[in-house]
Amino acid sequence: MACSRYLDSIHELVDGTIGPIRRADLEAHLGSCEECRALAADLQKIRDAAPQLDDLPVPDGAWLQIAGRLRQQGRSREEAPVVQARSMPRRLLALAAGLIVVIGASLALLIPRLTREPAPASPPQVAAPAPAGNAPTTESVQAVQNEVAQAQQQMETAITHMEEIAKANQQALDPKTAATLEKNLGIIDQAIAETRSAVKADPGSVAANRTLFEALKQKVTLLQETIALMNEMRKGNNAGAAQIVEGMNRS
Amino acid sequence: MPPSKVTVHPSAEAVSPSAARAAELALVERCRRGDLGAFEELYRAHARRIFGLAVRMLGNAADAEDLLQEIFLSAHRKLDSFRGESALGTWLYRLATNQILDYVRSRAARTGQLTDGLDDAAVIPDATGHRLGDRAIDRIDLERALAQLPDGCRAAFVLHDVQGLEHGEVADVLGIAEGTSKSQVHKARLRLRALLGRSSGSSG
Repeated sequence: MACSRYLDSIHELVDGTIGPIRRADLEAHLGSCEECRALAADLQKIRDAAPQLDDLPVPDGAWLQIAGRLRQQGRSREEAPVVQARSMPRRLLALAAGLIVVIGASLALLIPRLTREPAPASPPQVAAPAPAGNAPTTESVQAVQNEVAQAQQQMETAITHMEEIAKANQQALDPKTAATLEKNLGIIDQAIAETRSAVKADPGSVAANRTLFEALKQKVTLLQETIALMNEMRKGNNAGAAQIVEGMNRS
Repeated sequence: MPPSKVTVHPSAEAVSPSAARAAELALVERCRRGDLGAFEELYRAHARRIFGLAVRMLGNAADAEDLLQEIFLSAHRKLDSFRGESALGTWLYRLATNQILDYVRSRAARTGQLTDGLDDAAVIPDATGHRLGDRAIDRIDLERALAQLPDGCRAAFVLHDVQGLEHGEVADVLGIAEGTSKSQVHKARLRLRALLGRSSGSSG
């Protein structure tokens, strides 16, 4: 039987969390106690084996059962538009309350000269979130949609400008980095295209609009970082470029 | 000034986190719209890991399969709350862990097993004579031994040693003190040693 006094220390040794003083004490003990030495070796094996356990294969029928239940509950594609259409006014109210904030945050990331201007046809008060408890009028819903469309348009214009800058300076990047960035932009573009069609199918969906703005934001961020990377490379500042790439791989 | 050609340079990863996140958001959006193909894609990407967690936490595959269905149905219902602040896998894993733990707790409440598992220092088997020796640990033996642990120490062991959570995180997830998490993991390892040593002895 291992010495109970050293049990916790042995576990800490195995976890790599033991302090230097306890470690020295334990190592001195292990040198003379065969039981504890064997225990430490065995626990280390268990500790090393545990994270190597693979993911387990899922039984074949599991997905079919899930899909069947989703169909039964009317949560597959055929049923979705009906639910969305019914809840539209409420969702648009939430859109008024939530999306303007999202748009504002998105636009703050853009080129500073970009500013939101109210749509000429929209009365100023409808750009603000509708007060809780008040049902939105058709006009206010329409005005919010106009605001959303306008903000989206501004983001897309900014993206186009940044894309032009990035394209004009592409030679600053080596082909491998340029190809990687292009691939990533392609993925984001596809995401934008998919979410745009979701918004088109259900313009009042808060979730769809939020996702579209998130995708646009991702693109703005990647383009900003690309341009910053190009600038550093043009200056021959490898350290600065490395920092930007590190940020890109992390963010 | 002509652009300077950089020969030694840092390289971006093949798919950047930004692009991966955008793709995830688009996938989630398709799921929200009721696209079953998109949800199957999500399921195929994450089911194995979640099933592995469920089997190891519950100690049997039949319960884990039932729970797997409930987890994904629940995930489908909650997709509207996914904001993309964390990776989809992380969000899903957290949801799955909570649901598995709810199940473990309700089962423990029925059988009292979790409480036994938390206070069973006295019944840790003595591994004397059942050392692992030089033999490597077989994955199947480890899975089998893991299934024989009481719920309490198995859950702590799976989260800490298999999934790599810190003791503080295990404590949060299981709703126990950090010290209890440590003692549960220690007990689990000692039990596993005894079980594996026994099977190693019996197999030669």
